[in-house]
Amino acid sequence: MLWTDKYRPQTLDEVVGNNKEKKIILDWVGNWKKGNPQHPLLLVGPPGIGKTTLALIIAKEFSEYIELNASDKRSQDVIKNTIGESSSTRSLFGDEYKLIIMDEVDGIHGTNDRGGVKAIGEIIKSSKHPMILIANDFYSKRLQSIKPKCTIIKMAKVRSPSIRKALKEIAQKEEIKANPKALDLIAKKSNGDMRSAINTLQALADKDEVLEPKAVEDLRTKDDRSDIFNAITGVLKSKNPQHVREALRVDEDPTLVMEYIAENIPREYTKKNEIKKAYENIAKADLYFGRAQSSRNYGYWRYASDFMGIGVSSSKKETYKKFTKIQTPTIFTLMGRNRGKRNLRDGIAEKMSAKMHISHSIAISMFPYLEIMFKNDELAWEISDFLELEENEIKRFRSKKIPKKVITKMEKQKAQMRVEERDKRFEELQNQMLNTVPEEPEEKVEDELPFEIPNLESEETVEEETPEEVKEEKAEEKKEKKKTDKQVSLFSF
Amino acid sequence: MSGPWVEKYRPQKLEDIVGQKQIITRLEKYVGEESMPNLMFTGPAGVGKTTTALALVKSILGEYWRQNFLELNASDARGIDTVRDRIKNFCRLKPVGAPFRIIFLDEVDNMTKDAQHALRREMEMYTKTASFILSCNYSSKIIDPIQSRCAIFRFAPIKGEEIKERLQFICETEGFEADDKGLETIVYFAEGDMRKAVNVLQAAASEGEAITEDSVYEVVSKAKPQEIGKMINKALMGDFLGARTILRETMVLQGTSGEDMVTQIYQEVSKRVVDGKMEPDFYIDLINSIADCDFRIREGANPRIQLEALLTKFI
Repeated sequence: MLWTDKYRPQTLDEVVGNNKEKKIILDWVGNWKKGNPQHPLLLVGPPGIGKTTLALIIAKEFSEYIELNASDKRSQDVIKNTIGESSSTRSLFGDEYKLIIMDEVDGIHGTNDRGGVKAIGEIIKSSKHPMILIANDFYSKRLQSIKPKCTIIKMAKVRSPSIRKALKEIAQKEEIKANPKALDLIAKKSNGDMRSAINTLQALADKDEVLEPKAVEDLRTKDDRSDIFNAITGVLKSKNPQHVREALRVDEDPTLVMEYIAENIPREYTKKNEIKKAYENIAKADLYFGRAQSSRNYGYWRYASDFMGIGVSSSKKETYKKFTKIQTPTIFTLMGRNRGKRNLRDGIAEKMSAKMHISHSIAISMFPYLEIMFKNDELAWEISDFLELEENEIKRFRSKKIPKKVITKMEKQKAQMRVEERDKRFEELQNQMLNTVPEEPEEKVEDELPFEIPNLESEETVEEETPEEVKEEKAEEKKEKKKTDKQVSLFSF
Repeated sequence: MSGPWVEKYRPQKLEDIVGQKQIITRLEKYVGEESMPNLMFTGPAGVGKTTTALALVKSILGEYWRQNFLELNASDARGIDTVRDRIKNFCRLKPVGAPFRIIFLDEVDNMTKDAQHALRREMEMYTKTASFILSCNYSSKIIDPIQSRCAIFRFAPIKGEEIKERLQFICETEGFEADDKGLETIVYFAEGDMRKAVNVLQAAASEGEAITEDSVYEVVSKAKPQEIGKMINKALMGDFLGARTILRETMVLQGTSGEDMVTQIYQEVSKRVVDGKMEPDFYIDLINSIADCDFRIREGANPRIQLEALLTKFI
């Protein structure tokens, strides 16, 4: 049995660390029990710190729970079928809540199915049951639309003294002799990940031997990136084709190796023509990676590999006699650091693409113009309203908030326009009813079906300000609408 | 009052579409028919491919176009499986109140070959219930089996005169002033791209004053990535690492596409040679590299890597 299961905390008190967060969770459970529906909880934090454990502890407080690992197979249907129904209907017997736990909401793979996220969003909206969502990465794109609908609990890494203490207890219970320094080392190396620490302990434990720090070091000395670093050094420091070939024989994504080589070319090579030549080889390697992918002929990889290996290595006249620290491509750190920004950008692009029939890339290419347009308060409001932008998305285009005055004024204007539009449509409908065969079935407002019912939100705002007659007219108009609706549908079948 | 003009002034009817007269005449013949062949619209950005598709769909499907129409963007991060699922679910149902259903797939040229083959199967499977309209920038990137199943319509860049007329119409409707020079400047920068023209117009108008040559220039230069000139200067001075950093930041932070970067670099150097700030021989060498880079990006190479390699030609 895995020790991580065997020693999984069973009560909130046993969970190490995150005390403030535990308090929020207790309140959340308490409120549900009093019959106060709460927003779903979103537990976010790095792996191995007890998010799932917490969810399972909470589950004990409810009559039943359903657990779904969202990364297994998360097509919309699966999510909907598994929990969609149970989430909106409550049990026939009494008021018992079922807890829905959805693990790995941010998933492993980036882009494959958006449907899943959408389905989760819908379930959140319709669910009458308590829900707990669990994710690793706070900035994940998948979470962007979910976050606003949840109570977010950011959980921190477990501090290494706490891990050490837990390891010591487990070692005692399992009757393992361990040098305290070894446990300390495991705790430190786990980098706040309790699960991996316990797993390491289990992997190293031996009933007959004392666990010494040396064993811990042996287990985890291999740097994951050492292979790739060797390869890069081989290419940049050598001129011998055989060495280069050997160095490149690594178990890594070749395009990643290419990024590393490209990154370090200008750091190792200093002569201009050498940089030029070497980079030209990188560009060719990249070209063949692209061709391999688009033609599905992966035989092209061997050319790519030679361009970025032997090609780059032979671009220098002589090997440099200096010490160059191999660096991780800055593009990765740049992208990592700006993930929040990029996700924001992509979120806006997504909205534009839905409303304006354009692709993401075209949407993004419009940003500079939007920045200029957003300097105008009223236009900023109009466009935000049209695209249904959130506040932080508006901030992408203008640093100042849109003044309250402008917002109220524009909202009034919009409401006014709605009323006018409605009157116009009512008139049109009347005309249509009179002449059974309209000459022009679709008028200016072709974009919207003539009998589409205006959305609730605007109706509310209108109601506050419209005099009685208009209201009556509206009611009448609705009736009219229903009539036409029915008639039309009779024709079509 | 309805947000972006590119959407507000998108022509709703076939006869209102600017330019592309021959295409429109041919398409109008499909209206009222019991079926329609699969269509492929190809041409550069902003020439009316999507607009034409939407207008055509509305006239063919009539009142119930919404129910019988599916719009998908083939190139956006969704995988082909999502696209296929949605097509499948959509095609399974019979058309309601219309002779058939229509699926509009945008940017098909950005789909992988595999995805295109998958799409081809879908197209065959539902010929009875649905017609496809595909749209792409380069038909050369579309696999032959798809091309042979479509009637291909090539959209040309819109003529300057026609863009200008449309801009004038918008100005009149919105009630603000624009002088001739101003509009002509927009037309010059738009290069046949109506979307761009209308965006520049609205951005210039948003400043609240009449549109003049100057105000248009201001908008265009503000909308340009600011760092391109700086990047080129660094590279020319031999600071490749510095130039590369600017390139990466521009692409990651602004999200500028590779093709846009190439265009900006081209415009920047060609301005320099015309102003006498760059030797023609060196310039032509650069153009050789820029053209190569452009071609490779369109062929499907990694734009950033190719642009980094291009930058080394400046040092």
